[in-house]
Amino acid sequence: MSRVQLEVFFGTLFVLLSGGILLWYGLNEPKRMAEYELHQRAKSIEVGAELYDINCKGCHGPQGEGVAGLWPPLNDRHFFTNRLTEVGWSGTLEDYIISTVSGGRLVSTRPDRYPGQGRPVMPAWAERYGGPLRDDQIRNIAAFILNWADTAPDRSTQMAEMAGPPTGTDIKKALPEGDPTRGEGLANTKGCVVCHISAPTGPAWLATPEQPGIATRAEAILTDPNYTGNATSAVEYLHESIVLPNAYIVPGFQAGVMPANYGDTLTDQELADILAYLLTLK
Amino acid sequence: MLKSLDIQDLKSRLYQAIDNRVRIITAGLNLRELHNVLRGDPPEEKPNPRYKVHTTSFLFHIRPRYYEKASTIFTHTFRLGFFSTFFFFVEAITGIILMIYYSPVPSEAYQSILNLESNVPYGKLLRDIHRLGAEAMVIFVFLHMMRTFLTGSYKKERSFTWFTGVLLLGVTLFLSFFGYLLPWDQLAYWAVTIGTGMAEAAPLFGREANLLLRGGPDIGANGLLRAYLLHVVLLPAVAVLLISIHYYKVSREHGISLPAKYEEGDIPAEEKKNARQRIDFIPDLLTHEVFLTSLGIFALIVSIIIFGYSAPLENVANPQVTPLDTKAPWYFWWLQGLLKLGDKTLMGVILPTIIAGLLIAIPYIDRNPHRSLYKRPVAVGIGILSILVLVVLSYMGTPLYGIETPAATRIVQDLAPEEGVGPLRKIPFDQLQPGTYEVTGTVPRDLCPNLDFGCPALTSVFAEYSRRITRAINDPALPKIQRLPNGQAFLIIEDWQTDLRKVTFRILWDDPDSQQRKTFEKHIFIHRLRGDE
Repeated sequence: MSRVQLEVFFGTLFVLLSGGILLWYGLNEPKRMAEYELHQRAKSIEVGAELYDINCKGCHGPQGEGVAGLWPPLNDRHFFTNRLTEVGWSGTLEDYIISTVSGGRLVSTRPDRYPGQGRPVMPAWAERYGGPLRDDQIRNIAAFILNWADTAPDRSTQMAEMAGPPTGTDIKKALPEGDPTRGEGLANTKGCVVCHISAPTGPAWLATPEQPGIATRAEAILTDPNYTGNATSAVEYLHESIVLPNAYIVPGFQAGVMPANYGDTLTDQELADILAYLLTLK
Repeated sequence: MLKSLDIQDLKSRLYQAIDNRVRIITAGLNLRELHNVLRGDPPEEKPNPRYKVHTTSFLFHIRPRYYEKASTIFTHTFRLGFFSTFFFFVEAITGIILMIYYSPVPSEAYQSILNLESNVPYGKLLRDIHRLGAEAMVIFVFLHMMRTFLTGSYKKERSFTWFTGVLLLGVTLFLSFFGYLLPWDQLAYWAVTIGTGMAEAAPLFGREANLLLRGGPDIGANGLLRAYLLHVVLLPAVAVLLISIHYYKVSREHGISLPAKYEEGDIPAEEKKNARQRIDFIPDLLTHEVFLTSLGIFALIVSIIIFGYSAPLENVANPQVTPLDTKAPWYFWWLQGLLKLGDKTLMGVILPTIIAGLLIAIPYIDRNPHRSLYKRPVAVGIGILSILVLVVLSYMGTPLYGIETPAATRIVQDLAPEEGVGPLRKIPFDQLQPGTYEVTGTVPRDLCPNLDFGCPALTSVFAEYSRRITRAINDPALPKIQRLPNGQAFLIIEDWQTDLRKVTFRILWDDPDSQQRKTFEKHIFIHRLRGDE
């Protein structure tokens, strides 16, 4: 055979082989695309979990358990079954999550159970509304939250799960011995950290180069002529600030921002632990 | 009526009609001639109708009528120029189809790639071909230049062709570079950030050049749109123009160079004359090109579908998170290596400009009239030296060289890299048995005796983790940054959600600089169905 004929032969062979491989590949495409989408969903959940861990768990809890009276649980049967009807949402739950996370929550939908009467409770998270997250990141967070759908427990009885009777609002009450380490943990789970350490929504607890820690400042406030509360010692002042937050508002902050129901949700022991922790923040 | 029907006459008239039509379509060849062409037989008509095609057909008039026999020897050209062009066409065709599915907006770009790969039949293949073709094109263009240099084919009347060739090398690199950004993933974003950052180092107009390229202080919507338009409009247009000039010179003016020995070698005149025999374009060169094209397509398809080449796609670009191991595209590693050696302006802008200038000037600097390798030892020596320097610089450009990462960060990054899979994510989901595992110095034989299928993969990753931590704790020979004095390390696996587990690496050590105990912690979430890229 001449060179031309050989080349025609092998060229044809390559074209036929390529065509055959492409055909076989094409038959597998629907399966491959479906798998790709599954993997993509899985990765979306992974990324969402990471973002949730960084941005959301401070309020809504590491496992979406929320904090009673403050921040609603997301890993909750009610959220997956009744929430859309409750707020009269016409789209899907995913749309609802994305919309809420993007734009934040301006006014509480359940003012009897959660704070936010007439003031923003949840900040906007989308970049275009001034938040830190891109749209794809918010979609990932929604994917993560939706992954609780099958296992979410019923948390409607959570209020009753307190370890003891609520402590009430009496700041002169004798409290048990507190443990600062446990108190630090409670500051996390009860959500204090969000406003007093992570973001400057409330007076900062930790010492900075400009000012000492909250325990030292509590002493100073007692001698301030503008002080309007009833506390006579630093520990009483801190106690008062937790259970009766509007008794005295530190200059530069607004009344009514801090939930006034901690007296109903903390036990004596828990309050004592948190106070013990606060007193270490000189 | 029926009786008057003359089948013979009808047949011959039909044949005539078809014959004429074929002659018009092929611009000069009739059926019989076409048949001869396909069989590789010599022409029957005179004058040779196969030459006529070159004046009547536009597409053939830009092709050569013939090449001299010796210039078509495979080991002389390796068909490198042909394949450079082949890949240009592959890129153009796949690129045009990809444009249908792509939108050059930061919020959409990455999503459109995911959509292409998960919702468009053959979509992933298309992207793989485009990516592989781009990398191959860079390689072939570079090899083509090396070949031209080593065979001394840039000399005399070919010096202008060499000049357009160097420009084409530049256009190829820039085409590839700006295309790199379009998927808008971490890989793309940071590689291009590094690359355009170099423009900033240019003297006098550096700031302006950088702003012009990025469309702002950082790459954003403007930068992406600019890269896109450069990639799909301006650079391809320049490439088409330059390729046309480059090719026209070869096909119509000076042809492909003969191997040096047939021009200046010590061989019989008979052989020299024989080397200049004409090989006609039709059928020999044309068949050969069609054959090479089918071979090229076959090779692309086999390397993707059979050997599993897959175009990389990392997480979506995040301007707030600089990945630990950022690197430029591999064909710019040498530049990154240069940058590690000295001043940004000198190494990143002035030196590359000088190199480009030298490349262009080679035909004018090199006054040696000989083409044979043996008669130009200096040129060949410099060529080989340049390749070696390029390889060494490229190595220095990778994160393997000159970048010191603190021990804890490095160890965790190696086991569970920010991008890609890594050993940890390769562990089958069921082997990730929840629990807290502490590095104690002795490596356990089996981490999970309670699992009836065991967890060899988890055990081996933990063993590697233990080994590296123990070494960082105990080996005093390591540099300070790679040590973990008094170190303690944990691997914690938690059940997190349905089909989702959280893996935490926690490493504590005494930092010799601040005299404090430091903690490094990294959380990795792993979903059962994540698959590996």
